[in-house]
Amino acid sequence: MGFHIVKRDICPLWKRCCFYLAAIVAALFIGALVLLAIGVDPLEYYYQMFTMGMVGNRIAYKTVMNYLRDFVPLALTSVALSLAFKMRFWNIGGEGQFIIGSITASAVAFLLGPSLPMWLTVILMCIFAMLAAGLYGLIAGFLKIRFGTNETLMTLMLNYVALYILYFIGETKESWNFFLQEGSLRPVFESFASLGSFPSIPIGDKFQLNICVILTLLIGVGIYVYLKYSKQGYEISVVGDSMGTAHYAGMKVKRIILRTVFLSAALIGLAAAFKVGTVGVLSTSITNDVGWTGIIVAWLAQLSTPMIFVVAALICVLQTGSITAAATFSKVDSSFANMLQGAILFLILAAEFLVRFKIVRVKKGEKTNE
Amino acid sequence: MEQYAIQMKGITKTFGSVVANSNINLTLKQGEILALLGENGSGKTTLMNMLSGIYKPDSGSISIFGKEVSINSPEDSKKLGIGMVHQHFKLVDVFSAADNIWMGKEKPGLVLKKSRYARIREIASKFGFDLDPEKKVYNMAVSEKQTLEIIKVLYYGAKIIILDEPTAVLTVQEIKKLFDVLRKMKQEGHSIIIITHKLNEVMEISDRVAILRKGEYITTVETSKTNENALTEQMVGRKVDLNIDRPTVDKTSPLLEVRDLSILNDEGSVAIDKVNFYIRGGEILGVAGIAGCGQKELCEAIAGLRPIQSGQMIHKGDNIVGLSPKAITEKGISMSFIPEDRLGMGLAPSMSITDNMLLKNYRDAKGPFIDRKRGRAEAEQVIKSLEVVTPSTETPVRRLSGGNVQKVLPGREIKSGPNVIITAYPVRGLDINSSYTIYDILNKQKLNGVGILFVGEDLDVMLSLCDKIMVLCHGKLMGVVHAHKATKEMLGLMMTGSLDLTKEKSHGIAKDTLFKDVLVSADAPETAAQAEEEISNSGDKEE
Repeated sequence: MGFHIVKRDICPLWKRCCFYLAAIVAALFIGALVLLAIGVDPLEYYYQMFTMGMVGNRIAYKTVMNYLRDFVPLALTSVALSLAFKMRFWNIGGEGQFIIGSITASAVAFLLGPSLPMWLTVILMCIFAMLAAGLYGLIAGFLKIRFGTNETLMTLMLNYVALYILYFIGETKESWNFFLQEGSLRPVFESFASLGSFPSIPIGDKFQLNICVILTLLIGVGIYVYLKYSKQGYEISVVGDSMGTAHYAGMKVKRIILRTVFLSAALIGLAAAFKVGTVGVLSTSITNDVGWTGIIVAWLAQLSTPMIFVVAALICVLQTGSITAAATFSKVDSSFANMLQGAILFLILAAEFLVRFKIVRVKKGEKTNE
Repeated sequence: MEQYAIQMKGITKTFGSVVANSNINLTLKQGEILALLGENGSGKTTLMNMLSGIYKPDSGSISIFGKEVSINSPEDSKKLGIGMVHQHFKLVDVFSAADNIWMGKEKPGLVLKKSRYARIREIASKFGFDLDPEKKVYNMAVSEKQTLEIIKVLYYGAKIIILDEPTAVLTVQEIKKLFDVLRKMKQEGHSIIIITHKLNEVMEISDRVAILRKGEYITTVETSKTNENALTEQMVGRKVDLNIDRPTVDKTSPLLEVRDLSILNDEGSVAIDKVNFYIRGGEILGVAGIAGCGQKELCEAIAGLRPIQSGQMIHKGDNIVGLSPKAITEKGISMSFIPEDRLGMGLAPSMSITDNMLLKNYRDAKGPFIDRKRGRAEAEQVIKSLEVVTPSTETPVRRLSGGNVQKVLPGREIKSGPNVIITAYPVRGLDINSSYTIYDILNKQKLNGVGILFVGEDLDVMLSLCDKIMVLCHGKLMGVVHAHKATKEMLGLMMTGSLDLTKEKSHGIAKDTLFKDVLVSADAPETAAQAEEEISNSGDKEE
């Protein structure tokens, strides 16, 4: 008597969805146990979390706007990371590239904003943020193709370099440092909302749809087409699949690697420009960990561009929701979302096993070698 | 009733919906050598893996020396006295031979004792092996590694030894040595199962032959009462002509000429050392040599994937040294190299057949997008003409079985209409049926006037398929011989460097060379021309 693990041929889509749903439910169940242990009613908590406190709230539109403000950088960063991942270039440096992008975009706003019209400032913010972040990403790409260094380590370390540059800017009160408020004694970041902010399209009488949301969706479609149908996308797939084959086919592998890494990092820079151009002020936690969360999103979506948008939307619900819920339930910190996120990732990966294999029971009576 | 060393009854094993083994019965007598014969994907390795504890059967029973057993792990298998020598060696490179053997010991203690070398030397000499127990694995040749694997299983007291395609990587002389050892082991009372695709080896070494076809057990026959044709018929399920054709074609002037070519390998040492050869249209030039003596570097250099150190390569009179791989492809030179893992170069395994068809011509499409319609049409054409078994054109190449993967590659190369085909190990690991399909493909190309460089492993095949064979040893040219005049022994000697024909006269320089300026030093041109004349004269007489 016993069990066998048997490989599946194909797993139908509905079954796969069931497995993933079950994984999410199981993760929520684990979360519920934790909540119960703290002494919080899990049903009420989850209700608050998933509705993001919008039900019966007169400023619900604000919640949606805040939600989208978090969603845009996460979705765009995840899409950008998936570009590099598809090529099996492990860009762990989303955080660093995002920081460099946001510093550059802010600098453009401070330096050029006063003398240029807002629309031009905003465009320049995007371009320079993309260039700076792209070049920052290229460091790891260049070292890899030139010296064969490990891009995982390089991009990881460059995250800290970028982070400490940001800290340095944020804490150095000197006359050259135009990032900080002039009047304040303590170092505080100056707002540039009046110099470089992305425009919004009013929908209804209160809700404002930031143009970044539309741009992000358009870029998502663009990247989907790029990866799936373009020659360059084809090259990315081949290089990711087999470097030897790419050489053999006469592809200029090094150039493809550099090009793709630049594009990946530049899009993260653009995400950063969107972010600072929406909130209008730099901060030491400007990334909101999108460089890390983006990795999780890209993998949960299995690098499929449409799925990245779905997963990013769900993860954002968790994050925004837990902050709202934390206001009602003072016992539960908003970091609860992180725990839940971890549990979901873990269980989705476990569900992946069931997608690939099935467990069958060996029937009694049949003669086996058990 | 005779007691069997192994008796497998009604063994069935499925992977998903694929039935790898269906109701298989197999017996191995004590002290015999049983050959296990079957095409690719007929379930030989799966069956053997159930004996070595890697898989468990879904149903059926296994008895070892008359006792029904359950083998749940490789450890169980070892305890039962079964030892398997896998096709891909399982050794730690940085360890010495002795330490590789010791590694698997159950209670090795804390201290490595000097005496371990003596113990292992003892076993080696008992069976007539030639192995230095203190030698590190990374310094070993392929045959030595195999010897080590065999000693390893003997050390753990294996009474039943399974060898999975042991001869695939050996030279003729080494195979002879291996067979001597196997016979000695048989005399000592060991029972041996040997998996091989080569029928002549089956006839030579085995006492009985068990045949599998598409996961089903066909029969077991006494080797002395059968012959190669009968075995093939049982294995394939229909009559197969075992003769490889060598059609004669009017040869054209040299298509590809290589002069004094030297190439470095990845480590920076000389891989190809001042080699001369040429290929005419309508001929197949074989390249024989022990694995890793510069074949890969040679193929890569011709395809423009590897810089050359010195020398010249001309194609139809045009220099191709320094051209990009793309430019060389455009000249009509196609290179396909099947590495040991069969997928490393030439195919993108996770991509579909359609996408793989586009690999070399995706740039031709206008605009920034690739032309999948064209790829799909080409994929359909290749699937149809080469009988590739696949669910659809969109199936990732990785999912296809070995034989079908290997048809996709030449299929793509040939449809681009090349005039020179460089092909390395195109039948590596393929069964007889698929191999013959590949030979047919090559012969058809030859009839169309294509010049083919065939880097091969199986000397029998090369002797009957190729027109000429050039032999390499450690990157040096040992000579170019006419296949219908050469013998296996002679090639074997040349491959190991014991026979060097180039010492007597130059080889591999065409009489009607397209080299405009003959760059050979003052005294050489005469001898070179003479040599070529002699070769072609003697060749003509025979033809």
